Amino acid sequence: MSKIRVATCSLAGCFGCHMSFLDLDERIADLVELIEFDRSPLTDIKIVDAAGVDIGLIEGGVCNAENVHTLREFRSRCRILVAVGACALTGGVPALRNRIPLQECFAEAYLQGAGIEAPQVPNDPELPLLLDRVYPLHEVVRIDHVLPGCPPPADAFWELLTALLAGREPDLDYALRRFD
Amino acid sequence: MYEHLENASNTDGLSRMVIEPISRVEGHGKVTLLLDENRRVQQARLHIVEFRGFERFIQGRPFREVPTLVQRLCGICPISHLLAASKACDPFILGALTITPTAEKLRRLLHHAQVLQSNALHFFHLASPDLLFGFDDAVAHRNVVGVIMDQRELGLRGIRIRKYGQEVIRILTGKRVHGTGSIPGGFLKPLTLAERDEMLQGIDQIIDWCVASNELARDLFLAHQPEHLTFGATESAFLSLVTATGDCEIYDGVLRVKDACGKIIVDGFDPARYLDLIREEVKPWSYMKFPYLAPFGHEAGYYRVGPLARINNADRMPSERAEAARQEFADFGQGKPVQATLAQHWARMIDTIMCAEVIRYLLLDAEILGTELVYSDEQLKHIDPVREGVGVIEAPRGTLLHHYKIDDDENISFANLIVSTTHNNRGMNDSVRAVAAEYFDGRAVTEGLLNRIEVAIRAYDPCLSCATHALGQMPLIIEAIEADGRISSQLARHDDGRIEQFI
Amino acid sequence: MNGNDFTFVLDGENIRFEPGQTIMEAASQAGAYIPHLCYHPEYRPRGSCKLCTVKINGHFGTACTLPVQPGMQVENDTDELNLMRRRVVQMLFIEGNHYCPFCEKSGNCQLQALAYHVGMQDSHFPHFFSLRQIDASHPEMLLDRDRCIQCELCVRASRETDKKSIFGLAGRSTSTNLVINSESGLLGDTDFSIHDFAAHICPTGALIPKREGYPIPIGERLYDHQDISAVGHLHPNAAQRGESK
Repeated sequence: MSKIRVATCSLAGCFGCHMSFLDLDERIADLVELIEFDRSPLTDIKIVDAAGVDIGLIEGGVCNAENVHTLREFRSRCRILVAVGACALTGGVPALRNRIPLQECFAEAYLQGAGIEAPQVPNDPELPLLLDRVYPLHEVVRIDHVLPGCPPPADAFWELLTALLAGREPDLDYALRRFD
Repeated sequence: MYEHLENASNTDGLSRMVIEPISRVEGHGKVTLLLDENRRVQQARLHIVEFRGFERFIQGRPFREVPTLVQRLCGICPISHLLAASKACDPFILGALTITPTAEKLRRLLHHAQVLQSNALHFFHLASPDLLFGFDDAVAHRNVVGVIMDQRELGLRGIRIRKYGQEVIRILTGKRVHGTGSIPGGFLKPLTLAERDEMLQGIDQIIDWCVASNELARDLFLAHQPEHLTFGATESAFLSLVTATGDCEIYDGVLRVKDACGKIIVDGFDPARYLDLIREEVKPWSYMKFPYLAPFGHEAGYYRVGPLARINNADRMPSERAEAARQEFADFGQGKPVQATLAQHWARMIDTIMCAEVIRYLLLDAEILGTELVYSDEQLKHIDPVREGVGVIEAPRGTLLHHYKIDDDENISFANLIVSTTHNNRGMNDSVRAVAAEYFDGRAVTEGLLNRIEVAIRAYDPCLSCATHALGQMPLIIEAIEADGRISSQLARHDDGRIEQFI
Repeated sequence: MNGNDFTFVLDGENIRFEPGQTIMEAASQAGAYIPHLCYHPEYRPRGSCKLCTVKINGHFGTACTLPVQPGMQVENDTDELNLMRRRVVQMLFIEGNHYCPFCEKSGNCQLQALAYHVGMQDSHFPHFFSLRQIDASHPEMLLDRDRCIQCELCVRASRETDKKSIFGLAGRSTSTNLVINSESGLLGDTDFSIHDFAAHICPTGALIPKREGYPIPIGERLYDHQDISAVGHLHPNAAQRGESK
């Protein structure tokens, strides 16, 4: 049996969901017999295989133009796209910036913060443009499955992946559906 | 050494190469290189490209929720943020009083568990493939899965050291990532005898594994001299916390700076006065600022933080086997701080032995089973709370500063965070430039060469997740998207207010 | 068939009731759970949250407001109703700003528990990211309007039990807002007290004691292991923590 290919990435998130995935501990060693990682912060593959992969796991919300690009790349190349964690599902903590008027955000850290030298706002073309707000993934692309939680428990990843491997619908029991 | 590569004198006619996303590090960043027609590097930069804005958006939030909130800066070292923020907020309740002895020990236990698991993650899960398989190993194999496939026992050892730290965190905070545990004024939940015994049961094995891992890190470094000694070379001073008597210390202490020659140029410095020491320079091409030690100027004030700084700066380690390892490391440096970028992995594993040993000390301390975790209202009756606090801690990647003020309603009115990775911004950029200059001049570009740039960045274990907390500009892009996904209109507002219609 | 006049059918079970009871009251008395947020046995029902919507003889109605009639056929725990309730809870989530990850009420919050109960996992709709004001002016209590679902329980408790009328709702539609009855509009300028009944009735974290900070460890919170239909609203520590029943 050929291994199923899994791509993962973090957009506007904290990598806590990836850490929770690694909290599968020794089960990781079992899992890698069944799955193969494509693009992921855990590997050095930078672009999702053009031929497509089976499952894409995305943590974090969408906060800049580059996030939009990456998310669309995942959507177009992942047969099953999974929104992982509070930020992907609701914007999460980074969405707290959605309440701050843009003008106010402008100056704080780069112009008037404590201990600043050469106050200026970074504006190099290499820096991706920010969106007006941090958005949940489902407001940008279609999502097939979700894992709620900040982060989702390791067992939720296990249930999701083993279910998809077995060709059944993932079923998160009560303890695996947390919002915090 | 390669400062001239920060800004190309003339970018006309240069071709651009980009490494994005930087992988096997924790967070978002990219490297750009500008090459001339002879494929010589004219400019090399590590950009931090993400913005989140924590310092601004926590303003107006009640301070009691801030430690639990700001740990969402980073899923890799959340405990560092939980504790640095708790420490910064303690005076809002306690004034000049310190938290109870049991609360402090529980926080220390939590913190050492966190540095243990995070160091293990970094060494085994992220960096070890480069060190074990070489920088030119195949992309598909050069990752933690490759380690598990080829050296299963070693891979499992890394997983189990990390698991031990994560389990201690879970027991103390309710969850492995982003729990609740430390609160302003103390700690939330006492440690039960049964939980203590459970932690004690595994610790001797963990210490042995950490010692073995240090030997592995040391041997890999020494075996690959001279390349590993000069790889991504840069020379800096080092900043870290130490105890008042100069011991290595990661939960609380005073700031020490050793210059590149090994002379202590700052010592016993109260972290609350950090603004007298550190200034942060803004550069237009990165959201991450560039701090330096203001009293010494840009050049002499160039410093790095992290395990390398901790081991270089300490007069001694607080535990036996870590101290033996430190002495070996110090001997290698021959009286000077070790500067080698890749020696950071070796230093990190010495740091890890210390964490495991200190966890054992703490578990054997009867006071850790105490139940006085916060003071009663009665005890706090005559306390004069203050409205400003600074919390400093040694996060896995180095010195972490949280600074808050609160208003009359006890909401946050000011916040300044300097995270570990920000301190290392110059160091990482220097190392990137050194690698670019050494390996790119006139040669054909290969994937292995690009990976070397990432190897240099990985040595710092940059927590780019932490680093992107900073508040940046808010340029704006607005798109009108049709149902079929086609963009029918795109409008961007630049940071200077200029509006540009692309479509 | 004595007493037959005083039974109705709830999800296929015959349930006895007392004349004058609402469907909610009769169901509660019989130990059957009908989801609700704005209903509280002490106060006149509002029927505003719509979570207790049931199907009565084939027609939708709110269980907290409708009196039971003998022989009524009431559907409660059905896929159709639970999906509808899930959408209602999702709408509550996207209308306010419910940051469960760092909310002090998380694990003890009825809104969150109901979301778990109805199987909500995502928010389905686009988020409003509404701008709402936090009011920390009171020395003991915090009002975080981001978490307010406008159930009016605090309004009713303050008016009817505490006899203070501190809270009210103003504005229309999505601009509806919890307002404070003081000249400044601030909670700190009222005679609100942490000992008021209204201080402990909020089903979410909108009105919480200011000086607690995550008092119950994760794993020991009310809804950490059990569904709201099994444990109800009252934490076992509620009494010692000064909460009203």
